[in-house]
Amino acid sequence: MNRILATARVQLAAWPSTLGMPWLVLGGAFLVNLMVFALINTSNEDAHTGGLVTFYVVVLVAYVVTMTQYFPMILGMSVTRRTFYLATCLMALVQSLGYGAVLTVLELVESATGGWGVSLPFFGVEFLQQSNVLLQLLAYAVPTLLVSSLGMFFGVTFKRWGVIGMYTLAIASLVVFGGLAVLVTWLRWWGAIGAWFADQSSLALLAGWPALLTLVLAAVNFLMLRRATP
Amino acid sequence: MNPVISMSEVTKRYGDVTALDDVSLSVRENTITGLLGRNGAGKSTLMGLLTGQALPGSGRIEVFGSHPYENEAVLSQVSFIKESQRYPDNFRVRHVLRAARALYPNWDQEFAESLLEDFQLPPSRRVVKLSRGMFSAVGIVIGLASRAPLTLFDEPYLGLDAVARQLFYDRLLADYAENPRTVVLSTHLIDEVSDLIEHVLLIDGGRMLLDQDAETLREHAVTVTGPTAAVDEFTAEHEELHREQVGGFARVTVRNTGASADRTRARGHGVELEPVSLQQLVVHTTTRNTSSKESSR
Repeated sequence: MNRILATARVQLAAWPSTLGMPWLVLGGAFLVNLMVFALINTSNEDAHTGGLVTFYVVVLVAYVVTMTQYFPMILGMSVTRRTFYLATCLMALVQSLGYGAVLTVLELVESATGGWGVSLPFFGVEFLQQSNVLLQLLAYAVPTLLVSSLGMFFGVTFKRWGVIGMYTLAIASLVVFGGLAVLVTWLRWWGAIGAWFADQSSLALLAGWPALLTLVLAAVNFLMLRRATP
Repeated sequence: MNPVISMSEVTKRYGDVTALDDVSLSVRENTITGLLGRNGAGKSTLMGLLTGQALPGSGRIEVFGSHPYENEAVLSQVSFIKESQRYPDNFRVRHVLRAARALYPNWDQEFAESLLEDFQLPPSRRVVKLSRGMFSAVGIVIGLASRAPLTLFDEPYLGLDAVARQLFYDRLLADYAENPRTVVLSTHLIDEVSDLIEHVLLIDGGRMLLDQDAETLREHAVTVTGPTAAVDEFTAEHEELHREQVGGFARVTVRNTGASADRTRARGHGVELEPVSLQQLVVHTTTRNTSSKESSR
């Protein structure tokens, strides 16, 4: 356990840039949105902004980097793959909860100030809203955890199979999902699928299913990492 | 006493390429061993296997008595400094030291800091911005300050100027004297380290050619110079390792059997004796191995 904690600390050795990047990008997106909304001066309830997506993208990239850059260094410092993976998962968990908490607070501030004084729904995106604070935190934290494990997935794939592996993954995904789309269209299931999604509570869609997907990815990632070389 | 490293009939293949072929060796505790060999001979693969970084092949490997792959108890006692080490893009030199401090149980921070100064490494510089020599120096600082009971250096001197290299050898020897540990050093600059290393492992084409004490190895061969006829007569019963002949004079390196090392006897025959440097010995042994492989095809 000590070694796992030590490894997690190593991943934070350059913490200002490591931890700060998602917030820097998010902050930039936020400022731009704020200025646009201030200029347009609308109190339109239907205004949408996708600025929050940038946050998840940066987190995903951070975990790709963890696999492509931190993994080689840490293995080079005589840490086992297992310890490295557990440390990374621990960090992802703590980071997701921490970031989730910050986002929740920002969302509360946003509600309290009526959208930062210009009706800007940046953090409180409509379908993310939950009934209580704890659920709101989960609605932010679990997708963060999901993109973290997705980032790890892409990272390990690249480590093991390089650029060819990435192309293979892309092509395979197209084939699989495209094939599924063809199948669903042929069986006329779109309506049923749409109804199923509508029936799910927003919490299930934001926290429930992503959590399941994260667990699956976590297992796959470890199996792939076991045979990876730094 | 159990050896720190013990390899038995280890074979490692990467697709079609056999990187290591039936390699057996052992390394004793608290010795400095030189791992020598040509480029592509299998040195890095061997070290990767010993540190659990490469995936195991066939055969038995034991480090501190156990298999090193994914073995935390063993690996926490090992430090592997390789020239292909990579660091995250946003890491500065001080971050690397911070990481090493967290991960090496025997880390000596004071020693590391004094080494940083000795090698004139700027702590705030990004690692990606370091020159090749400085990058190697970072590896050397980590390897020395880790005080790991088994420290492996894979060509750590790349890019280092002669002064820095001498600094490395001096610091290594000084620290080794005060805090003994097992060191395995792979290098191409054989003559530079010939005074440093106690044991020699020579590998060529994935096979072990030599596994001997440096002392024994040095007495292993001798170079006989003089008129060709006299030299040939003197070296008649000895295994020839290398021959240079110009006009009527020859310089022949032969395997030593003790009797021929007698200088007075040599002068009596009209020839001179010279010691063979470790580098020459390694080159001759490797070349003979290559030519014997080719002639047996």
